[in-house]
Amino acid sequence: MTQQPTPMSHEQALDLAPLYVVGALEEAEMAAVREHLATCPESHAVFEELGGVVPYLLDDPSLELVEPPAALGDRIMAAATADLAERTAIAERTAPVPAAERTTPIPFPSAEERGERTRARRSPLTWVAAIAAVLAIAVLGAWNVSLQGQVNDLEQQVGAAQEYRDAVAAVLDVASAPGSQTAVLQPVSSGGPRGLAAVGSDGSIQFAMQDLAPTSGSQVYETWAIVGDNAPVPLGSFQVDASGIASFTSQRGPADPGIVVAVSREPAAGATSPTEVVSAGQAAPPAT
Amino acid sequence: MNDRDGGLSGRVATPTDVADRAVLARVADGELDALQDLYDRYRTMAYSIALRITADAALAEDVVQDAFLGAWRNAARYIEGRGSVKTWLLSIVHHRAVDAVRRRRPASELPDVETPPPAALTLPDIWGEVAGNLDRAEIASALATLSDVQREAIELAYFGGLTQVEIADRTGAPLGTVKSRIRLGLLAMRTALVGEVAEGGSP
Repeated sequence: MTQQPTPMSHEQALDLAPLYVVGALEEAEMAAVREHLATCPESHAVFEELGGVVPYLLDDPSLELVEPPAALGDRIMAAATADLAERTAIAERTAPVPAAERTTPIPFPSAEERGERTRARRSPLTWVAAIAAVLAIAVLGAWNVSLQGQVNDLEQQVGAAQEYRDAVAAVLDVASAPGSQTAVLQPVSSGGPRGLAAVGSDGSIQFAMQDLAPTSGSQVYETWAIVGDNAPVPLGSFQVDASGIASFTSQRGPADPGIVVAVSREPAAGATSPTEVVSAGQAAPPAT
Repeated sequence: MNDRDGGLSGRVATPTDVADRAVLARVADGELDALQDLYDRYRTMAYSIALRITADAALAEDVVQDAFLGAWRNAARYIEGRGSVKTWLLSIVHHRAVDAVRRRRPASELPDVETPPPAALTLPDIWGEVAGNLDRAEIASALATLSDVQREAIELAYFGGLTQVEIADRTGAPLGTVKSRIRLGLLAMRTALVGEVAEGGSP
């Protein structure tokens, strides 16, 4: 996950500006331009000049206006409520991230920028304190009947935090065994699912994932191991409820050093190649 | 190619912008009611854009959900001087939608999983400016100044999620021509918008 874009000259970047601002470059080229913009001190006025009008394309009067289904708003609010809960539960945790679990942050948004989560192993006491604090708030809130709904939400949220904590504990169990590797799974798009995985020496992988969109019908999340340039190896699938959290033990797969671990969303179980990778990370042996 | 400062950035914030910013500030504070408010303001535009790009109702819903949750988590990163809340939000929708379309393509075309995530990262940070909302008639007349081939190239890229190579394949135009059509089209739009808005007439 640390592959750097090829460096690009200032002139090359300026030349690609029209294509960049409308997103018409290959991923690697987009990344190279982005990198250039982030590091080159020279003027990039042409990017703003051209890019500044691009958002107006979204106001194209020929756009047919379609009202979304009512349930969409409900889903969004439910997901935001769960997210808020987790933030509350996490607020007090400040444990530093162990070296083995650091990865290159993705620019939008990196964990540091969000100023919230660390994927560190945390002492159970910290967790207990955080949850106790949330519960205390819930009890105080119960004095006011009008807050009852929020209390219920909080209790659900505490449940979700607990579930993820348990999932992480299972990962750490595997990670503590000799010959294991760990991976931090980063979302492929911002706000997407993320989590931890531990690759056991036997090639089975323990996953702890959060922020997964719930599955419905036959939809599943499929887990994958990828060695070098080889085709991804499917390792089994799972479904997710509204909590967005999953704890999953995969089938045995390759256990090569540095394998890439990925989770994809699939219309049904049994995929032989990933349809939509939602989260991925590279495994490395734990630092000791 | 001249005035960066006298261009679109000089627009005055509208009452809608001001109200949107107040809502977004509350979203940044973690107020769920504010998120609901923001959603109610822009759900139709957001969904319509997502639907146009993905041409798939279920995927469009996923995109809109993803975008609003992204806004929920990152509202504090919105920078006032760099555009309206509407622009910021709808640009997020746009990027998610294009991302979704690209990921839906056959697995062989999927980006290498080891490459860091793409589209979402180009968000409006560099786009700056655009502080006001033009009305739709102004946009329409600006778009009307584009030639058909310019508009086609821009739309295939921006709403189709196609790369320059794919646009060249689709239209039969050489790569260099695709690039210059997009460039000239955007410049024409800019001239029309800035001329009409900031200078009160055509150049």
